[in-house]
Amino acid sequence: MSAPSTPLTRRDFLANSAKLGAFVAAAPYIARGADAAAKTDQLNVALIGCGEQGAVLLNAALKIPNIRFKAICDIWPYRRTYGERLLKKFGHDAKPYEDYREVLSSHPELDAVIIATPDFKHSEHTVAALKAGKHVYCEKLMSNTVEGARAMVLAARETKKLLQLGHQRRSNPRYLHARDKIVRDAKLLGRVTNISGQWHRAVTDDFGFPVGQGIAEAKLNQYGFANMHEFRNWRWFKRYAGGPMSDLGAHQIDVYNWMLGANPRLCLASGGVDYYKTHEWYDNAIAVFEYPTQEGIVRATYEVLTTTSAGGGYHEYFMGDLGALKISENPKYTKLYREARAPEWDEFAKKGIIASPLSGEGAPAPVKPWEKQGVKKLAAPSNATVDVRETAALSAWEIPVTLDKAIHQPHLENFFDAVRNGTPLNCPGESAFATAVTILKINESIAAQKALTFAPGDFTA
Amino acid sequence: MNALTFRHEAMATFFEIAIADQPADYARQAATAAWRELDRLESELSRYVESSDIARANRLAHGETIAIGEDALECLLIAAEMSLATRRAFDAAYASEGVGDGPPFTLDPSEHALTSRAERLHLDLGAIGKGYALDRLAAVLAEWKISSASLNSGGSTVLALAAPAGEPGWLVGLGEGAARREFPLAHGALSGSGLAVKGAHLIDPRSGAVAARTERAWALASTAAVADALSTAFFVWTDGEVAAYCAEQVDIGAALASAGGELVRLGALKNLGNRD
Repeated sequence: MSAPSTPLTRRDFLANSAKLGAFVAAAPYIARGADAAAKTDQLNVALIGCGEQGAVLLNAALKIPNIRFKAICDIWPYRRTYGERLLKKFGHDAKPYEDYREVLSSHPELDAVIIATPDFKHSEHTVAALKAGKHVYCEKLMSNTVEGARAMVLAARETKKLLQLGHQRRSNPRYLHARDKIVRDAKLLGRVTNISGQWHRAVTDDFGFPVGQGIAEAKLNQYGFANMHEFRNWRWFKRYAGGPMSDLGAHQIDVYNWMLGANPRLCLASGGVDYYKTHEWYDNAIAVFEYPTQEGIVRATYEVLTTTSAGGGYHEYFMGDLGALKISENPKYTKLYREARAPEWDEFAKKGIIASPLSGEGAPAPVKPWEKQGVKKLAAPSNATVDVRETAALSAWEIPVTLDKAIHQPHLENFFDAVRNGTPLNCPGESAFATAVTILKINESIAAQKALTFAPGDFTA
Repeated sequence: MNALTFRHEAMATFFEIAIADQPADYARQAATAAWRELDRLESELSRYVESSDIARANRLAHGETIAIGEDALECLLIAAEMSLATRRAFDAAYASEGVGDGPPFTLDPSEHALTSRAERLHLDLGAIGKGYALDRLAAVLAEWKISSASLNSGGSTVLALAAPAGEPGWLVGLGEGAARREFPLAHGALSGSGLAVKGAHLIDPRSGAVAARTERAWALASTAAVADALSTAFFVWTDGEVAAYCAEQVDIGAALASAGGELVRLGALKNLGNRD
């Protein structure tokens, strides 16, 4: 148990006068946190790109001790101001910038840069930051071109700086447990033969912008954007990004590669601009892969639909001859299933590797004695003892791991740990490059309307 | 009235935004921005989302501290304030176990830190979070320079911004049957608590027992978070306690339905909605 708290004095409140009223009214609830961290081993960080994803990373990073934002950069004053204000509330005195080059030239104290700009800028921004001597955490997809992604890997190699890509599932403790304990150690799936995966999302309107907050077209052109509509909806346009397969599918197909420890040898995909009138990228797309693994071929399908939420949200489903793992960032879509032919799993539940769905968080409330179902008598010879058992265990099991942090926080922590202590990165540039190659091939296959093959060398930068 | 209504599901209910006096495309884009903010807020504030600040707080051992985000901090500060102001007739942590003499949790605003002071902290923003979200959505609309709008969460809390052009306000209703009153509301929030929708019961946080009131209670306040919390407190309080509170807080209004079909109006609601 921690030391007792020290009540704040009224003078302490004055450090943040904007909240003074609330503090006074809530005074009994105000006390110094027990773990008010010692400000040692601080890392100085800048955020380049403070759009929606940048804000997600910013909010997650602000929950990590001893990270100090020194600069925030966005070409859009509206979002730059959002980031600046948020950082002020957390006591960070971050300087705002429009041009990332000024961030890199004005802040020699930076240890690392977080990049959350549109995909077509990732390579330029990452390479520049690495060459300025900064470690880089860059959002996925690594780049919208293979050449851009390769340049990032080569720059990291040349500068000997760290490059982590934002495939954050690789640091999610539930995914790590599933891969390392359930699939690899306990081999509960047996031989994995198939994967299916999906992200189904309902129709969304295009993004607009508040009146008076538009960026002049000349300035947009200067930074590579045609106009405000494309700037706000860049994910849907080919010159900036890779579409839904890149935005959503990249997370999940990255998990295919990561879970199998393999890259595909063939990709066949179909898709189109079936629904939206103001977009360039395929709004619905379906891909098929063949993965050569040491245990044999794994056939995989993946579909990203942006016109319906039907069909069960988003998940990756690994199917083997002994069991299946359905996993998602959302725990409600996560489940393990044992094949009837597989050995019982109770010993793994006892070891804490899996959990019975009848216990633990999210389990139904215990059944009251008077609600218990009557025991069914088995048909049996009259001279035999009736083997009355309790109801057979369900074939569905849980993964007994909770993500106790903001979704992106473990991946950022892994990056910062790597910067501080040399901890291995969970998604270094080299392996993210393989994912980028896989993803970009899907769009190529759709355009070519045929199956495309990968050579093993394609996955090496 | 020239208003467009948009709807979105979140926080186990539906939210609606009615926007007046704006071009349709612009109103839709603003609503889209508001819904993105709402989804983000749900991920921070819902105890059912495992990585939310509230779910994380509920897993803390006594004395443990976590860093929380700006919205969890702000919402919990308001919740703490309302718990004190209502002498725990509203209490977002009432179900906590093993709480000593002090509050079940403490906040360190300068560090954005929350510390559990309970053996088992049980935070539930169900009676304030949706109201808080409405206030935040109104802030999004303000950024979009949209002044005339009405927002509601599941029909139980309404936040009215400026009235549509030529109108005295956004029409809201309270009371049941013959006692029902409708009145135009602008720059204020009205929230109702009752048993009709959930069909279950409301707990009196002070005793842990089921609240004695069976008919609906409404609260009028300047923000939706406060109205949301107060409507719960009003449901828990006796008529006399509600009247005493409204007598002290001139900006607050209350309406209490009686089993006999009457509607008692107090404070800032006293003169609103007269049928004449």
